[in-house]
Parts: sequence; C-alpha cells; structure tokens
Amino acid sequence: MPRLVRLIWIVLALHLTLGLIAYAHFLVTGQYAVLGWYFSALGTPFFLVMTSTECCVAIICRSWFESDEPMRLAWGMIASAALARLAGVVLRAISDGHLPWGNWHQLSQPPGALFVNLNQLGLVIGGPLSMAFLAFGLGRVLRIQRRFRLVGSFTRGDKALLFLVLAFSVSQLAINLPLLMKHPSLGTILLWMSDPLLSILLIEAILVRRSVIRMGQGLVAKCWGMFALAIVITSVGDAAIWADNHGFLSESMTALSWYIWFFAAAAFASAPAYQLAAISLSRESSVNQLEKR
Amino acid sequence: MNLFGKWHPGLMRRKPQTASSRDVHFEAEAASGLDELQTRLNQWSDLWSQDTDPAIRTAAQKLVAERLARWIERCFGQHVESALRGKGTPISLASSTPIFTAFLGRRATRELSRRVLQDI
Repeated sequence: MPRLVRLIWIVLALHLTLGLIAYAHFLVTGQYAVLGWYFSALGTPFFLVMTSTECCVAIICRSWFESDEPMRLAWGMIASAALARLAGVVLRAISDGHLPWGNWHQLSQPPGALFVNLNQLGLVIGGPLSMAFLAFGLGRVLRIQRRFRLVGSFTRGDKALLFLVLAFSVSQLAINLPLLMKHPSLGTILLWMSDPLLSILLIEAILVRRSVIRMGQGLVAKCWGMFALAIVITSVGDAAIWADNHGFLSESMTALSWYIWFFAAAAFASAPAYQLAAISLSRESSVNQLEKR
Repeated sequence: MNLFGKWHPGLMRRKPQTASSRDVHFEAEAASGLDELQTRLNQWSDLWSQDTDPAIRTAAQKLVAERLARWIERCFGQHVESALRGKGTPISLASSTPIFTAFLGRRATRELSRRVLQDI
C-alpha cells in the first residue's frame, strides 16, 4: 500500500476510534452533547483535511499529463470535483459549524431567492456541482479504458442495482417536480439534481469496477476502484438520509449512519493517492532492483 | 532584446560564415561512428518492436519483456499483460507504451522506458 494511502486510512481509523467513544457515550446516556462536539469539532476538520488532500494530489496528478493528453482533462475535472467538495465543506462550516452534510430538505424556501442561505450554497457546490465534475471526469476515463478494451459489460446484479437506483431517482423527481409550482429557490432545484447525478456516477462506478476486475490489483486499477468505492459509499449515505427522512431508521441507527461520510471522504482521497503512487513508481528503480536480488 | 538591432548597418554587411575546419573534423568523426550508431539503432528497434518468433529472442529482449511485465503488474494488474500481448507474443515497449502513456502520461512513460532500458 502506498505511504499516502496508508496515512489516510490510519487517520480515518484514529478518527473513527474517537467517534466510536462518542457514539458509545450517546448510546449509554442518550445525550447528543459529546456526539455533537465530535462531529463539529473533529468531523469538520477531518473533511477539510481529506478534501484538501484529494484536491492537492489530483492537481499534482493532472500536472503529470501534457496539455494534449486526454487524461489531463479527466484529472482536471476530478480536481475540480474535489475543490467543489472542499468549498462546500468550508461554506457549511462557516454557515453553521454543525453537521457537515446538513439537512437541506428542512430548509425554508423564501420565494425569488437564489439560495436560501450559505449552508445551501455549500450543499449545492459540494453536492450536485462536485458530482457533475466527477461524472464528466469519469466519463473521459471510461472512454480511454474502452479504447484499450478494458471496460466490461453489465452483469445481472449490476443491472438489478441500476434498476433500483434509476427507479429511486425517477420517483424522487416525480415527488419534487410538482413542487416547482411553489417557486422554490434555485438552490433547492439544483439539489434535486443530486439523485440523478448520483445515478450517473453509480453507472460509471460499476463500469469502472468492471474494468478494474479486468485489470487486476495494480495501482492504477486501485485508483479507479477507490473512486467506484467512494461513489457506492456516497450512494449508501444518500439512501440512509432518505431512510431517516421517511422514519425507517431508529435514532441510534441514524447517528451511526452519519459515520458513512468519513469512509466516503477517505476513499475519495485515496483514489488520486494511488494514481500518484503509480506515477511516482516510474521514478523509482525498485522494480529493476527486484531482479538483481 | 533590441528589436531594431537587426537593422543596424553593421549587421547587414555581415555574411554567413563558410564551413570551418572544425565542421570538416566533425564529419570525419561522425563517419567513423556511423556503424556503431547503426548497430545501436538496430538494437533499439529490436527492443522496441514485437518479436514474432520467441525462439530467436535475445537476452536483452527477454530482460526488457520481464521488466515490462513487472511494471505492468505493479501499475495496472496481473491481467493487463495477457490482454496486451496478442497470440502468445511477448510484451514489448511497442505494445505497452500506449497504455502506459494513456494512464500515466508521457513524462512518466519516458522515465519508465528509461528504467526498463537501463543497463541494456
């Protein structure tokens, strides 16, 4: 495992250890004081560190490609997605300093306003805008992978999962579209795009995963595998929010579901770290040294 | 840089220099090293291209193929190598360079090729 990737997962493990102590306190006492402090005082810095790392490493990866190389645009888009996620975290931290993902569905909607507040602006930038950048970047990568015949076809399981996700997205749009009559803010409309964009990302993630299976366990394969993992974790987190909104989750399960986002952030940060490790490998003579031993 | 300098009368009177004795000496040197250069170019060409007959592969070609296989396994995975080599032909710089360039970039691929060809 590359050093930076190991560091990311060690930081996550330490962070989760503290998080589990806070969760245990919540389970025993039933009070949110320690849990709330953990998410606001440690959770937000964790997201800032992970998204900053992802953004910086993605920019370094982009710099390794020349202007006429297709992967430069792909890594540019991935770096933009990370930057948008970072800006979203910063805006939400400035706005409320509470839970980084907020509760956008509960926000009031004054007519005529572009965004309800700074928190919603942060959610739009860190959510749909970031997803759009990532979807475009992964689309470019899939085109390159197809050129090398690395992209496989969907299996039955993939098709079943995609059907569920698409059905969910369509149902959400069907619920939201009639609300247009109430003149919601631009921010609210843009947030409705989260589910369709996540569906596109999930389709891309499945195709990327198929290509990773065809490649093996190399560093480049792991890079794209990490993106696929991060998108799947984001989908699980999104499903948890939906289940919580509809009262399907108990209080303790809702609190536990908040931890999902830390795994997603770590997976997103690990992906460019694997790519950088693959690029750095070309500067090492370790492979040639292996044969000399 | 003075752009008007080229219109200076002193510069306009200048004539291009004729071939000096140093250039003649260089040509003589180059002619003596031409065979060596041709041999090296042929060797690089053999290392670059795919060898259709595995039986007549040289030790250098085998070493390049081994090193490339290791790089490919570490960068992409164990299955990519078999996908790149068609019909049992060994992996070569010619067949592996496109995928390395696409996913790692030209700069990294140049460096990688230099590592692969090291000591050969």
